[in-house]
This record gives sequence, structure tokens and C-alpha cells, in this order.
Amino acid sequence: MFKLDLKRISTFVALTLFATTSISAQPQEIKLQTPPLDKRAVDGAIKYHIKDDVYADTYKINPDAYEIKQFNFGREATKNEIKARDIDVRYDWQGLPDGKGSVEQGDELYAKHCEMCHGEMGSGGKGYPLLVGGQGTLKNQMLKPGDEPPIKTIGSYWPYASTLWWYVKTGMPFPHPMSLTNDEVYAIVAYLLSLNEITIDGEELDDEYVLTKEKLMKVVMPNVNGFYPDVNGPDGPLVMKKFLSDSSNYATPNVRCMKNCPTAKVVRISQPLDDGIRPPLSTKRDLPKKEEGSAQNSKYAKLFEEKCSACHMNKAIAPVPGDKEEWASRIKQGIETLYEHAIKGFKGMPPKGGAMDLSDEDIKGIVDFMVEQSK
Amino acid sequence: MKREIDNKRESRRGFLKNIAASVVAAGTLAPSLLKADDPNLIEEPEWGKKLGLPVDKYLYGQPSPYEHNVVRRVHELLSSGDMYASVAMCPIHELDGIITPNGLFFNRCHGGVAIIDPNKYRLLIHGMVEKPLVLTLEDIKKYPSESVIHFIECPANGSTEWRAPQFNTLQFLKGMMSQAEWTGVRLKHILKDAGIKEGAKWVLAEGSDNSHMGRTIPLEKILDDAMVVWAQNGEALRPEQGYPIRLLVPGWEGNLNIKWLGRIEIGDKPWHAKEETSKYTMLMPSGKAIRFFWPMEVNSVITRPCPDKPWTHLKKGDVVEIEGLAWSGHGRIKGVDISFDGGKNWVEAKLKGLVLPKAWTRFSYIYKWEGEPLLLSSRAYDEVGNVQPTIDQEVGKMGVENIYHRNAIVTWEVKANGEVHNVQIRS
Ligand code: HEC
Ligand code: HEC
Repeated sequence: MFKLDLKRISTFVALTLFATTSISAQPQEIKLQTPPLDKRAVDGAIKYHIKDDVYADTYKINPDAYEIKQFNFGREATKNEIKARDIDVRYDWQGLPDGKGSVEQGDELYAKHCEMCHGEMGSGGKGYPLLVGGQGTLKNQMLKPGDEPPIKTIGSYWPYASTLWWYVKTGMPFPHPMSLTNDEVYAIVAYLLSLNEITIDGEELDDEYVLTKEKLMKVVMPNVNGFYPDVNGPDGPLVMKKFLSDSSNYATPNVRCMKNCPTAKVVRISQPLDDGIRPPLSTKRDLPKKEEGSAQNSKYAKLFEEKCSACHMNKAIAPVPGDKEEWASRIKQGIETLYEHAIKGFKGMPPKGGAMDLSDEDIKGIVDFMVEQSK
Repeated sequence: MKREIDNKRESRRGFLKNIAASVVAAGTLAPSLLKADDPNLIEEPEWGKKLGLPVDKYLYGQPSPYEHNVVRRVHELLSSGDMYASVAMCPIHELDGIITPNGLFFNRCHGGVAIIDPNKYRLLIHGMVEKPLVLTLEDIKKYPSESVIHFIECPANGSTEWRAPQFNTLQFLKGMMSQAEWTGVRLKHILKDAGIKEGAKWVLAEGSDNSHMGRTIPLEKILDDAMVVWAQNGEALRPEQGYPIRLLVPGWEGNLNIKWLGRIEIGDKPWHAKEETSKYTMLMPSGKAIRFFWPMEVNSVITRPCPDKPWTHLKKGDVVEIEGLAWSGHGRIKGVDISFDGGKNWVEAKLKGLVLPKAWTRFSYIYKWEGEPLLLSSRAYDEVGNVQPTIDQEVGKMGVENIYHRNAIVTWEVKANGEVHNVQIRS
């Protein structure tokens, strides 16, 4: 989820085989009562009830609301409404629409819609998720310097290809999802599967390979058996209830040690991450300094510095922010006009100042910043 | 008498002055050296001599400008590339009581904060039901409502600390959670109108925002205590919390509390969405991963003192309240223990205020501090008998590559000068 997954963190805890516990005195422990399965909810939590119009011994409720058998609110959904919205693809392929696309088409589409974030051939970068590799790394634990982390990608980690189709269709490309046709999604999925060297019926997915619904449904992902407990059977919820009701499955004890408990060394922060925090940490009660503190501002100040200052910090070339006289008549034109001039160009001002990689929103943010400086 | 106390304080302050200056985040109002005949009392203060703001200045109220540092904060490393799939942390070190003001509620999203037109909002319920339903916002609000207080916590809260301590601030150590009073309707009432078919076991809840976040939830939970909510702390949900409608699954991973809820599908099998395969699964040292992990386990942290709110303003022998938050998705908090020696010996703290199911609960311990260095920890236990593990217990079983569901005991090192640092007790 986070960049930290991938970043090598250079703070390590030296491993010792045994905790330095005091062996002289016996620990004193209190064992806690754990409720039986029938007193627990599906997640192993306490099951609460309504008693004497009070829920969970806490909240008064109106019992009449619970007596009503049907409210008949809303209206029946039409088939077309459901069809338009029912966009998921379940692991058993329920919901997968028809379509087809080749690896080669996928390659082109990837270059157009995905590469700017996910890197060449899914190699990641700029903190965006990596889409290839990692097979054979899942047992890695980064415990000491030199250890490699596990790398979780589509190829190494995802148990079902259905999820990939579903996610690319409804979640990507990140800035405008739901914009790819089904055929385009098939092509991109074919490309991503081929990058991860996943085969279908023993066949490699070369450039000409055309992925169809029938073929996709045959894909078995390498890590399909990498997850537990097995929740896919008819008793899935019960399996989960048993699993979560036994806290030894997740290292949570049921005893409180009160005296002479085993303890260990004190490990201090060696490389604090606090520096990257925005806005910087402070608990002062003072009046805000002008401008400072606005994360937006500093973002656009930075972009201005990078993309516009070459001309706009030189009075001889372009209006310099802060030069109130110069800006007064420009500001009078109205902010929309300034946006338009900045985006489309205006006299000596090239469109977007030549920084075509900036979005319109970014340009507007920078213009706001420039105007704010100049009022 | 008063003067005498002040004088003592003053000498202690003189001693501390140099140290205090070196503390980055002194947590108090400028610790004025209260001299005799304090001008703040002797002279009429500024605000006593002129009119305040007119009542129509802020028709939606704002915090005092002096509170401008009490904000959510972000860190580039805690994102998936940019600030649209990222998280803004709640300043829990600044909170009192158990309710988070709406503007400070932590904000985690996967495709930016959607701004939804409530007039165009629709909730679709379909799948294994007798009558698939479309509901408008007004339709949903016609159902009888309930108001409940629950925390919402991202399971990645504290995920930076698996290998070693890294953040010297409570806001980034545990700020991926907040608590509100939520108002909405129990989903079981709405589902009466749809009519659930025989054999249904699982539910897909899906957001209508850019990420189309989908998550599988067992029907049993949906019919137990899940709600569709439209209000937090008495006003409409904030966009960051899924305006106009979010799902509330009390005690469960934040990610399951689908924001901008657009669709509910009932089925007989789990879906295995992206956030229950690629993410929000727990990779164990065996190389296998726990697939679903719903509740947030028992947890606690001392909020005062903490690195952001140190004891640099105390003088030797001061009586001080150690205070913190405890919570569990498995039920009510039963109790909290405190250790002053890094977990070797423990004493019982007191719970205070409301002790609600699946909710933040405040604990308190009154302590006379003689200026001795401490290794201060809290350890909560809950209604199902679950106790917060030590780091060694947790890492011993789960390894360090889990990312999610880290609930090991947190320890603060309190130094003789009152500074507080995040440390870990581990082998
Ligand atoms: C503007 C940048 C951007 C673009 C363009 C983009 N993505 Fe993504 N992608 C992201 C971000 C951010 C995430 C993580 C989202 C989250 O954390 O919820 C992501 C996640 C993914 C994932 C999940 C990876 C994992 O292991 O969890 C896949 C698969 C993916 N993208 C595929 C694509 C494809 C295919 C395209 C092109 C059609 C595309 N992306 C275009 C930014 C982008
Ligand atoms: C190559 C030089 C150059 C660069 C780079 C440049 N500008 Fe300009 N810009 C100009 C010049 C020259 C003008 C004055 C045009 C005139 O009014 O004659 C101008 C004017 C403007 C104006 C005022 C338009 C008006 O209607 O008065 C805005 C706003 C502006 N630029 C925004 C930007 C932004 C934002 C960037 C960076 C993304 C940028 N500029 C980069 C040369 C540049």
C-alpha cells in the first residue's frame, strides 16, 4: 500500500537469540476468561443483543422500529440499472464480460495509459506500485541489514486473475478509471500477465497472443494457494469465525503478566522519519504566519520555482509575482482569464509556459499562487 | 501560598529553560515565567478593551486562529505515489475525550476525496435478493435511525514500526484512527425491503468514487451491527468520510467502512477484491498470508505524556495524570495496565468517561513524578479476554512483513528532563 513496502528501511534491530529475561523470579500472571464460540459474532467479537430495549447494555433503542416487517422505501431497480452498475468480477468469474485483446495491443495501451506511473514494463517508480516480479520472495523477512524484503506484485502475490481484470477496469488508469473498453482491458491484462510470465494451458503469452474470456478463465495465478484460511467453501463465514475467535492465530495472548514479566532491550529511533512530515510538527499556540502552513501553497510555490521562474523571476522577460503594479491590471481581467492565458498561452507567454506535463489544475494552482503573491 | 508555588516553579523552570529550548515540540502554551504582578493580570488584556468579531463573521464556525497547528498531517512515504492514494493523520495527541472533531478525522483514500451531489446520489442493492432496490438519499433517511459511537482505524495504523521505531510523534505512530458519533440506519432494516434469498452468505460493498473500492463482508456482520450512515457528530458526513453515505462496520478495518457507498450486492461466495488480495492481507514468515482479517484488535497508547506532549513543564514531585486511549474491535475495553519499567512490572490504570463497545476508551493513572527516567507503557485487554502483545510476542508469530494489524505495546522513554521518545522493547 505504501512506499515503505518497497523502500529499504535502514533502521534495523540487531537480532539476539534469547530475550534477556530475569530468571530469578517467576512471572505472576492473570489468565483471562475467553467466551465460547456461541457467545461470539462472526469476527470472534462479543455478540451483542437487545435486551429491555437497550442494545449492548449501552444504547437505548426504539423497539417499534425493529417490529416493522417492511418499509417499502425506494423502488425496484431495473435490469438496465443493475447491468450498468454491476461492474465486479468475482473470483469464480461471475461478472466477467466478453471481449478480447492481444498482448501487443496491451503493450501499446500500457505505454499510453499506464507507463507514466507504473514505469517501463511495470517496473514501478516514483512510489507507484510495481507490476512485475517478486516471485520467490514472499518468505523474505527484512530483519537485519542485507536482508531483502518480500515483493508483492500481481505475479508474485495476487491469487486470482479475476481481481486484475476487475481492478484495471474499475480502478485504472488512476486519474480516470472506467474509461477503458472491455477489449482494451483484455489487452492490458494480457500484457501484464505476459510480463509476469504467466502461462495459459502451458502456453506462453507472446506478442500475438489474443486473450479472450474463455482463456482468461483458465489462468491459475502462481500464488493461488498462498492465502489462508480457506473461505471459499460453503462454510466460509464459520471458518473465519473460528479463526478469529482463536487469538493465538494472531499473536494476541489471553494472560496479563503483572510482575517479573519477560522484557527485552530498549531500541531507540536511529533514523527518524519526522523530517518528511507536512506541515512540520508543532504544538505551539501562536498566530499563523502568513502563507506558511498551507501545503497547497508550498506545492505550487515549488512548481512555480521549477516550471515558471526561468521567465517569471526576471522582470525583463515576464511579470514577476509580488510586483503589485505590474499585476494590478492583469488581476483585473479576472482569474478565469488568467487561467486561460496561462493554459493556452498569451502574447510572449507560451501555453503552460512550455510545461505541457502539468495538468490544467496544476497551472491554475500556480496562477493562484502568483496572484496571491501580487495582491 | 500561591506565590510560593509559583516561586518553586520558577526555579525549576530556570533549570529547565535550556533544555526546554532544545525540545522541538514543547506541548504547552508558552511557559511564561509567571513573575509577581503578572502584567497579564495587572493590565487589562487587549481583548477586554475592544469589540470582538460580529456574530455573522463565520456562519460556519472556525477554531481559534491560535489552534492552527492542530491539523492533520501527511508524509510522502505514507502514500502510493501521490496525495490521492494516501493518508492524512489525525493529531490524536491534541484530542480530549473520545470524539474527534470532524475537520481532524483522519483521511485515507484511494482515489482522492470525491465530492458527490446528494441530489444525484443513488444506492443500488441487488444480487441474491427478492427485490433489487434503488434508494435516494431521502429514501435512506426515511428509515428509523440510530446514533452510535465507534472508532474507525486503518489496519495500517502503526505499520512503520514493525522493524524498529521510526516516528517520534504520536500523530504518525497511531494517527490513522479517529472516533465519531455516527447516525444512520442499521442495514438489516433496509434489507427487509430487499428480502434476502436462501443461500446468501456474503456481501459486496462498493464505493462510487474513483477507486470503486469494493470489499467482501459476511452477511452475518451486515445483519448484526452494520449501518449505512449519513451523519458524524451531528452534521452531514464530511466528504473525506464518504459524503453523503458511508458504510459503518463497527470495530472492523477502516477500509471495510466503504465511503461514498454506491452499491451493495448479496451473494453466496466471497469476491476477492483488490483490497483483499493485493493489500489488507497479512503476509506471514511462512510466505503465506492471512486472507481476511476483519476486527481491529485490542490496542492502547498513552497520549499524555507522548513525544508531542512531553513533561518538560513539570517540576520534581509534581502530581501528574498519565492518560491515554484504549480500544478494541472485539468489544468493550475491560481494563488497562501501566508499566514504568519497560514491561517488567505492571499496575492497573483506571478507565474514565464512557466505556462503550468497540470504542475509544480513556484511561488514567495519577502519578507523582520525581524526575526519574521511565519506560512508560500501556497494555489494554478487552471483553473477549484478548491482551495486547509485547513486540516480541507479536513479531515472534507474525514476522515483520505484515504491514497491517500491528497492536503491540507502545513504550515511551521519559527522560529526566521531561522529554519523551518513542522506543521499543524487543529482543
Ligand atoms: C497517475 C498514475 C497512475 C496511472 C496513469 C496508472 N496507475 Fe495504476 N496505480 C496508481 C496508484 C496510485 C495505485 C495504488 C492505488 C491505491 O493505493 O489504492 C495503482 C495501482 C495499480 C495496480 C495495483 C498494484 C498492486 O499490486 O496493488 C495495478 C494492477 C495498476 N495500478 C494497473 C494500472 C494500469 C493497467 C494502468 C493503465 C491502464 C494504470 N495502472 C495507470 C497510479 C497510476
Ligand atoms: C518562456 C517564458 C515563460 C515561461 C516559462 C512562463 N511564462 Fe508566463 N508569461 C511570460 C510572458 C512573456 C508573459 C507576459 C505576456 C504579456 O502580457 O505580454 C507571461 C504572462 C503570464 C501570466 C499573465 C497573463 C495575463 O493575462 O496577464 C500568467 C498568469 C503566467 N504567465 C503564468 C505562467 C505560469 C503558471 C508559468 C509556469 C507554468 C509560466 N507563466 C511560465 C513568459 C513565460
